Amino acid sequence: MVEKFPYGKAPFWLLAIALASVAGRWLVMGHGDARADLLIVANSPSHFEAYKNAVPRFERKHGVHVEVQFAHWTALQSRLESAMLAGADVPDLVELLEGSLGFFTRGPREDVGLLDLADRVEAEGFDRRLVASRLSSWSTVDGRIYALPNDVHPVMLAYRRDLVAQLGIDVTKLDTWDAFVEAGRRVTRDVDGDGVVDHYMIDLPYDGNWALTSLLLQHGGQLFDRAGNIAFNSDITTEVFAWYLRQTHGPRKIAYDAGWGQALGKAMVDGLVVFYWAPDWRSRFFADEVPSLAGHMALMPLPAWDKGGRRTSVWGGTGLMISRRTPRPDLAWELAKFLYFDPTEMGKRFEATNIIPVLRDAWTMPELDAPNPYYSNEPIGRMYADLAPDVPPSYVSPLTAVAGTELDEAFSRCVSYYERFGEEGLTDAIHRELSRAEAYVQRLAERANWMARAP
Amino acid sequence: MNPTRLVVFAALAVFAALCARSPGRTLIYLRFLLLGLAATVVLAPFAWLLAAIFKDRTVFDEYLFLPPPAEWSSRTLNLDNFRELFRGRPSVHGTAYFWQYVLNSTAYATVSTVLNLFFCSLGGFALAKYDFRGKAALLVLMLGSMTIPSALLLPPLYNMVVDLGMVDSLTGLIVPGMVSAYGIFLFRQACMSVPDEMLDAGRIDGCSEIAIYFRLVMPLVRPMAAAFCLMTFLGTWNSFFTPNVFLQTQKNFTLPIVLYMYVNDYQSNYGVFLAGTALAMLPPMVLFLALEKEFISGLTSGAVKG
Amino acid sequence: MSSPLSAPSAAPASRPRPSRAPAGVRVRPQERGWAPYAFLSPYLLLTSVFFFVPFLDAIGLAFFETNGPRTRVFVGLANFHFLFTDSTFYRALWNTTVFACASVFVQLPLSMGLAILLNSSKGRLRGMLRLVLFSPNLVGQIFVGILFSTLFTPRYGLINRAFHALFGWGLEVWWLSNPWLVMPALVLTSLWVWVGFNMVYFLAALQGVDRSLEEAARIDGASEWQVFRFVTLPSMRHVTVFVVVTSVIGSYQLFELPLALLHSTEGAGPENSGLTLITYLNNVAFHLGDLGLGSAVGWIAALIIFFVSMIQIRVSRVLED
Repeated sequence: MVEKFPYGKAPFWLLAIALASVAGRWLVMGHGDARADLLIVANSPSHFEAYKNAVPRFERKHGVHVEVQFAHWTALQSRLESAMLAGADVPDLVELLEGSLGFFTRGPREDVGLLDLADRVEAEGFDRRLVASRLSSWSTVDGRIYALPNDVHPVMLAYRRDLVAQLGIDVTKLDTWDAFVEAGRRVTRDVDGDGVVDHYMIDLPYDGNWALTSLLLQHGGQLFDRAGNIAFNSDITTEVFAWYLRQTHGPRKIAYDAGWGQALGKAMVDGLVVFYWAPDWRSRFFADEVPSLAGHMALMPLPAWDKGGRRTSVWGGTGLMISRRTPRPDLAWELAKFLYFDPTEMGKRFEATNIIPVLRDAWTMPELDAPNPYYSNEPIGRMYADLAPDVPPSYVSPLTAVAGTELDEAFSRCVSYYERFGEEGLTDAIHRELSRAEAYVQRLAERANWMARAP
Repeated sequence: MNPTRLVVFAALAVFAALCARSPGRTLIYLRFLLLGLAATVVLAPFAWLLAAIFKDRTVFDEYLFLPPPAEWSSRTLNLDNFRELFRGRPSVHGTAYFWQYVLNSTAYATVSTVLNLFFCSLGGFALAKYDFRGKAALLVLMLGSMTIPSALLLPPLYNMVVDLGMVDSLTGLIVPGMVSAYGIFLFRQACMSVPDEMLDAGRIDGCSEIAIYFRLVMPLVRPMAAAFCLMTFLGTWNSFFTPNVFLQTQKNFTLPIVLYMYVNDYQSNYGVFLAGTALAMLPPMVLFLALEKEFISGLTSGAVKG
Repeated sequence: MSSPLSAPSAAPASRPRPSRAPAGVRVRPQERGWAPYAFLSPYLLLTSVFFFVPFLDAIGLAFFETNGPRTRVFVGLANFHFLFTDSTFYRALWNTTVFACASVFVQLPLSMGLAILLNSSKGRLRGMLRLVLFSPNLVGQIFVGILFSTLFTPRYGLINRAFHALFGWGLEVWWLSNPWLVMPALVLTSLWVWVGFNMVYFLAALQGVDRSLEEAARIDGASEWQVFRFVTLPSMRHVTVFVVVTSVIGSYQLFELPLALLHSTEGAGPENSGLTLITYLNNVAFHLGDLGLGSAVGWIAALIIFFVSMIQIRVSRVLED
């Protein structure tokens, strides 16, 4: 039979394999799974575990079946948007990463595949009951709210209490960055004369990255303002850039880039760096990764930029969106509220991750006051909750990603300038780079025909 | 003096000795040396890949290729990379397994190849052995269409596939690419060498045109059919751009898309996606080894005869 | 537009072909008239739907801004204006052109050289070496990029280790993070993939050269190099032009290789040093969802390819005379 096949042997076998694989696919995927009432996708393993454990209670209460899945964020973000635009199947609820909302709202209103939650939020008073600034990351300029915030993530500084005592630092006096830098300069030096600096004051990445943004937000700077205009070409940004350059690249720098993972753990244990940037989630990360320092660590609010100013910032965040095409939006809304705002769930979450609730009502829960043995028995939950109302907003725009990239590049150029010319003409150089970045983003803004304008 | 330098010096020493002994054959020895060098450079990445996929993650960076035989044990060499590769990974629609992607790629490549084979050979036969109104214009149009880069057509094609509801399925990938002008030209070339007398004899015997195609012409152009199958299979099996744009849900992904995803996900464990890459390279290699001769002659027939 | 393709005649109206059958035997034209149209109908149908319609659509799409496949707004020449004032676009254009030049002036001489070397080898060895040298081409571009992204790893990757073992330096070279080394890394990878491929073409052409002409030239006293330059090379003209043109066309469509090689930056590389024209198109059309701008980029790419091919064919005709 093979011989008589007109095209020859190889094509014959290819045909056979073709038929077999098509049949195979049909068999494997032909079964439409009994579709659950709701499909929710988490973007981190810890959330996935938490939701899987919580969901049975919801299922019993409402008599439905909820499927919980987990997908890596990198794969999820790009696929989600193109799937929504192409009309392909999309899960009912998906967790989004901070700053990504703009990606989904760049088109005209009709194209946004997310359900507008503004009415529900207002009707149930969440705009007052949640830390209001967190809603900024999930809203558009014309007031549509597309996701529920999961967290507040206030930032404190974690430090080695024993080191601080040994080096003679009084943390109660470090209430401004000026005071901090001054103390830092005394601390950051070569103590034992081996040519290598023994202690750095603070851990900051040399390329800016997350720390630059966090500091900028603390100082009241923004990438975009509330109305969606470009806001990063400002004196505040210039000041933050210059400050950051001095601390990470200058002749009297006080910062070291300890990185992540093993390198960071080593720096902490060796005492190479004294202070670490610690949003609530990272405080848990330190406790898990470096258990040997239990009882030696402590937390303090951020030094303010100006005396009496804001003593915290924000880093990261997750939000939960509901697909506009879900067949059961009300049920999805109930599930979102359940997973995010149910008191039992929030208590469990705090105990597992140190993440404090974004719902103010929940700050009465006793778990927040529990002494944390890792951090010298300080009630870190309460400390974070006290700072939470001050967490700065972070306005998002479809151009947020581009602006972030341009800002990173601008900073990188400023680093080159600073390393060559130092302080001379630094402010002007920073201005130039920021203006260049602004011009680039402005071009894209003018192009975008559907950018929502402020009402 | 490390082993690599030792080998290089030894090779050069042998070369010099041979040249000294018979200077007339220096050029020949030089030729072997250069070809040997080229072959080594080409094979080195393959050899590295073959070694890498069996190395345990803990010793991955320690040894360039394989550990010395003294160190061979299940600690250093094992199938962990493959186990991790075939382990189910979470996806939006549940756990996804590697063999699902293999199945997708296989279905896409083989169905495309078979359909292309049929339609292109049919068209090539028609162009080679028939005269009809509009033939010259059609040839010109077909030649012209081959100069358009596919990336230009991808955005509007994507629009069309979405409108037809075929996006996110293998149908949407296969159907637009079921036939190609290039394939038709190749078969036209091959069919032209089939003697006309044979066709006429067939007609006299009462064969219908389609029977002539199947029974007389196709068996004579089997080499080209084999070559074309390999070409098309390679093109579809290895294609990334179009499937990446058209396919949305993970369960439909083909191997190139998935492995590209894995590169980012397994940055601390190269062995896993390298194992996947090695597996993905196998079918084309196997097919090529089976069809090498026909492939080379088919490939160059378009260029050399002009 | 009226076209001879638009209405394949339903009634078989073609004249009977002059038959080669022995005289007196009738051949039946009716049954053959429909055959070519029927045989070509799948191609015609599929091409009209999936080639011509998108082609016409592409002409218009470049003047729109879109958000995904369903929403579009007319913007006239704004897309082109944007491209011609975008530094990233020019970077992509520059990178791609540099790569195309490297393809022609670095890769092809190597292919030719290998073909010459291989040509003098005997049958089995030649067959085996040809197989070996061609094999990288079987691997998809995306897989090559994935593989080589691990080979270029500083300190532990094969390439750095090889350099270090042979020459004693190069262990810490950061190929893929150094903006100046990204293009060389790309070119090296492309050499691995395509030198064997083009070599196969040159080899076939070399084997088609008329030996007697070469012998005649040698007898006339020409040196080997002169024989090559004035007899062999010109008779390989067709293949050379073909290979050059396809190399350039392929270079301007380079996308999957840098995408996988520079996967951490999605094909762009540090400071966009690895960004190619089609990567730019992919980002714009399918990441940002603006299929209109993507079409505009596609048109520019198509025009460049067209012009460069025309120039090369012209130049080869000139060289002919």
